[in-house]
Amino acid sequence: MSVVKDIAAVAKGMGITFGEMFQPTIVENYPDGPGPLKGAKFQERFRGAHVLQRDENGLEKCVACFLCAAACPCNCIYIEADENTEQNRVSGAERYAKVYNIDYNRCIFCGYCVEACPTDAITHGHGFELASFNATNLIYRKEQLLAIKPAQLGEGVTFNKAEMDRQGSTAG
Amino acid sequence: MGTRGFGFGMADANITVDGKKITAPAGSLLIDACKNAGIEIPSFCYYPNLSLQGACRMCVVRVDAPKMPKLQTACTTTISDGMVVTTDSEEVKQSRKAVVEILLGNHPLDCPVCDAGGQCELQDMTFTYGASESRYVEPKNHKQEQQWSPVVFFDSPRCILCYRCVRVCNEAMDVAALGVENRGVSSLIVPNGGDHLDCEECGMCIDICPVGALTSGSYRYKTRPWEMNHVSTICTHCGDGCKTTLGVRSSEAGMEILRGDNRDKSGINDDFLCIKGRYAFDFANREDRLRQPLVRKNGVLTAVTWEEAVTAVGDKFAEVKQSGGVFGVIGSPRSTNEEAYLLQKFARSTLGTNNIDHQRTADFPAFVSALAGKPEMAGSMRDAYMVPAILLLGGDATDEHPLLAYQVRNNVRLHSAKLYVVNSQEIKLKRQAAEFAQIPAGTESGVAAFLAGDDSAVAAIATAITSADAWRALRETLRSAQNLLIAFSSDLQGDGIANIAKFAGSVSGAKVICLADYANSRGVADMGLYPDLLPGYASAAKAGLDLAGMSAAAQQGKLGALLVVGANPVYDLGFAADSLNNTFVVVQDMFLTETAAIADVVLPSASAYETSGTFTNTSGDLQLVKKAGDLHGTKPDFEIIVRIASAMGVDVSTLVPLGAGTTADMGQSRGAQSGEADRSAVYLQKQGLEARVSPFDAAALFDEIQRLVPGYDVSRMNLMAGNDVRTTTAGKAAALPASRGESLRPAHDTLFSSGSLGRYSRVLNSVAENRDSKLVEVAAD
Repeated sequence: MSVVKDIAAVAKGMGITFGEMFQPTIVENYPDGPGPLKGAKFQERFRGAHVLQRDENGLEKCVACFLCAAACPCNCIYIEADENTEQNRVSGAERYAKVYNIDYNRCIFCGYCVEACPTDAITHGHGFELASFNATNLIYRKEQLLAIKPAQLGEGVTFNKAEMDRQGSTAG
Repeated sequence: MGTRGFGFGMADANITVDGKKITAPAGSLLIDACKNAGIEIPSFCYYPNLSLQGACRMCVVRVDAPKMPKLQTACTTTISDGMVVTTDSEEVKQSRKAVVEILLGNHPLDCPVCDAGGQCELQDMTFTYGASESRYVEPKNHKQEQQWSPVVFFDSPRCILCYRCVRVCNEAMDVAALGVENRGVSSLIVPNGGDHLDCEECGMCIDICPVGALTSGSYRYKTRPWEMNHVSTICTHCGDGCKTTLGVRSSEAGMEILRGDNRDKSGINDDFLCIKGRYAFDFANREDRLRQPLVRKNGVLTAVTWEEAVTAVGDKFAEVKQSGGVFGVIGSPRSTNEEAYLLQKFARSTLGTNNIDHQRTADFPAFVSALAGKPEMAGSMRDAYMVPAILLLGGDATDEHPLLAYQVRNNVRLHSAKLYVVNSQEIKLKRQAAEFAQIPAGTESGVAAFLAGDDSAVAAIATAITSADAWRALRETLRSAQNLLIAFSSDLQGDGIANIAKFAGSVSGAKVICLADYANSRGVADMGLYPDLLPGYASAAKAGLDLAGMSAAAQQGKLGALLVVGANPVYDLGFAADSLNNTFVVVQDMFLTETAAIADVVLPSASAYETSGTFTNTSGDLQLVKKAGDLHGTKPDFEIIVRIASAMGVDVSTLVPLGAGTTADMGQSRGAQSGEADRSAVYLQKQGLEARVSPFDAAALFDEIQRLVPGYDVSRMNLMAGNDVRTTTAGKAAALPASRGESLRPAHDTLFSSGSLGRYSRVLNSVAENRDSKLVEVAAD
C-alpha cells in the first residue's frame, strides 16, 4: 500500500508542475525579451534607480533635509543645500538641494532613504540598467535623478526666473 | 558655579524624589537638586544662571501630596527638609504630554527644513514625553519670517515663548535688545529697533533658542547638525581665548566652516561667544584665499609649485647669510606658541639674527618682571567670574575684551561682586560698577602711581566727577577689598605696571591681568618674539632691531631679507612700501595683503582654524588649538618655516626635536595589530613622551617649550583633554632694564573689527555696513 501512496504523492506533485507548464510566463525574459522599454511589467514594489519626485506644480519635492543621507547604511547620498529665493525657486519649502548625488557604486537598494523621506521626494523607480564600464559614471547627479516635469503643464514649461534666463540665453 | 546666591551657606535639606533620598542645600531649586541626583525633569524656559520664568509648565511635578492641591513647577520651587516629590506618576506624564501638545498647536511641523532639526529641544521633548498625535484640526496661524539683522532671523510661528532670548539679552549681555509685545497667546518676541535689532550681534539669543525660531544668517539652510564634524578650538580674534566649536564639512577647497558655538559649555567662556567667535570664521572660506605659492618673475608675481617657491627662498636666504646681509623677521600675535617659538629659533639659530619682532599690544615684559616671584598674583579669565571685587583700569572691555566684560558683568549679577571702573570714557560697564571714577584721557599711569602711594599724582587724575577726596576714599576702599582682581589696558606700561603690581601686593589676595589685543599676544611674548628677549623673557646677549629699527634699515637699503609671517607691516606697522625695493621680502599669509603684493615670494599659509598648536590668552590660560581641516594648497606656518630651513641645507632635527623623547615600540613587535591597545604607546602618550616622527609635528616643539620656557610646565593631560591650564610667571627673569621703551601698537578693536583680519570677514563687514546705514537713516531724520 505504501508504494501506491508514494506514487500518488509523486503524481500530485508532478501534476502541479505540468499544470504550471501551460500557464502564461510571469518572469520577463531579459535581455532577449521585450525589456523595460518595450512593455515588460514590473512589480510596483521593485526597487530600481531612484527618482526625485516633483509636486503638482513641477517644483522639486526635496527640501534637502539630509534624512535620506542620514538613513543610508552605505553613505552613498551626498547633498548640498541652498536657500530658495524669489528669483530662483526650486522647491516648495525654504530650502532645496543644490547638489544631490547618489553613488551607485555603493548603493545597495535597501530603500531606507525612501522610508526616511518626510516629503516623499525620493522614490525607487524601476530603472535597473545601470551597468557601466566607468565607475565614475555611476555617481548620478540630481539632473539624472529628477522626474520629468508634469505633462499637464505643457511642453517647455519653466519653473523659475533663473531657468527662464538660462533658456533665453541659450536660445539667443 | 551656576548656583544661585541663596543656595550658599545653607543647611542641607533631605528630600525624597520618586522614593529616592536626595540631599541638597536647603533653598536650592528642585530642578537643580533633581538634576544633580540624576533625575531628569524636562523644561524649556528654565536656563541656569538666568532669572526664573515659570512660563513653559513643562517641569511640573507633584510636591507633598495631598497638601499641595496642584502640580508645582520644579524650576521655581525651592526645596525644604522632608519634601516628598513625585516626577514620574501618570498624572505628571499626562501633564507633560498636554504641554507638548499645546505647544505644537501652532508650531509648524517643518522640521525637515528647520535649522534646529536634529538639535531641537522641542523635537527631543516630543519624542520623549509628547503625544504622538495631535487633536488640533484648526489651520495654523502662519506669519512671514523676519530678518532683524545680517545675522539674526526670526520665524515667529516656531517660537514657543520661553523668553530665554529676552532674558539672556537683558541679563547676561545687558543689551536688552529683545522684548515681548502683547499678552497671552498673541505674545510676540520683538526687537528694539521696531523691525530690526540695534545690538551687539553676539548671537546668544540664537544659541539659546530651544527651537528654530531664531536662526543665524550665516548658517541657515546650509546643512544639518549631524552632517558636520565638530571641532572645538580657540577663537583667533581677541586675546580672551574663548573656546568655539566649529561645525565643519568637506568641500571642493578642502573644508568649509559653517558655524561656531560653544553649546557644550566647555572652555572658560561657558556658552558665551561674541560676534567674532560665533560668525567671523568666514575669512577662512573666502574665495580670494591664496592657494598657490607666488614668486616674482620679471616683476610679476607668478604662481609656482611649493618646491620651487621654497627652494627660491632657501637659496636666497643662504646667499644673504653667506654675504653677511641683514635679516629681519616679523611674527604675528595670531601665531600659535609652537609657530612663534619655531620662528624665533629659526631666526636666531638658522638665520643668526636677533632682528625679530611682532605687533606688541601690551607690555608683557614689564608685567612679568613686576610679578617676578609672585606667580599667585597673576589673575585668570575664570577669576573675573569668581572674585568678590574687580578694578577695571582703562580700555573698553565690552568692545576689546568681550569675554572679560561678560565674566565681570555676570559676576556682579550672580555673585554680587563689587566692580570699580576707572576710565576716561563712560564705558558700558559703568552700569554694573559700584563706583565709577573718571580721569582725564591718558592719565592711567597717574592712577597707578596714586594707587601705589604717590599722593602727589592725585592732582593730575582728579576731575569734576571724581575729586581728590573721592580718589583717596576710593583708594581706601580698594585697599580693604578682599581678593581684588585688577585688569588694566595697554594704556599702562613700564612703571605704570610696576606701580599697579606694587599696589596689588598691598591688597590681600589681589590678582592682576594685563590685557592685550590678539589671540596669542601673550603667547608670542612668552615665546620671545622680541629683539632683546629670548623665550621666557631672558635677556638676549645682544639686542637686535625692533620694528622701527628694521623699517629704518630698509629705508637705508641695508635690510637684505625680510621674512614676514602672518603680519602686514606695510599696512599697519609703519613700513613704507617703496622702502622694501632693495629687500628680498618673503611673506607667509592667507591673503594677498599690501605687504604680500610687494613681496618677492608669497607662501599661502593656513589659518588658525587649519592649524594645531596652543594659544595662551591674555591672562595666561593655555589652551589647545585644534585643526578643523585642510584648505588645499595651503600649509601651516610651522611646516613652511621647517621647509625653508630644510631648503637652506639645515638639519631640521636641530629645529624640531625629531624622534626625541624615547624610542617607542610602535606596536609591531607585540601583536598590537590584533586589535589590542599598544599599552606602551598609550603610556608614552600620556606622559608626553611619544616618539615624534615628523618634522612638521608642532607637538614635538611643545615638548621643548614645556622643558625650556619657564611657566609652561603645565599638566599635559589636562591640556590635551581640552581644558584651560594656567601658565605661571614663575622663575622668569626679573632683571629687565627698568625702562625698555616698549612701543605698543594697540588695535583698539570694536566688537565688529579685528585688527587687520576683520576686513576679510564678510559677516563683520556686513554688520558694520548695516549699522552705518542705520546711523545715516537716523541722521537724515
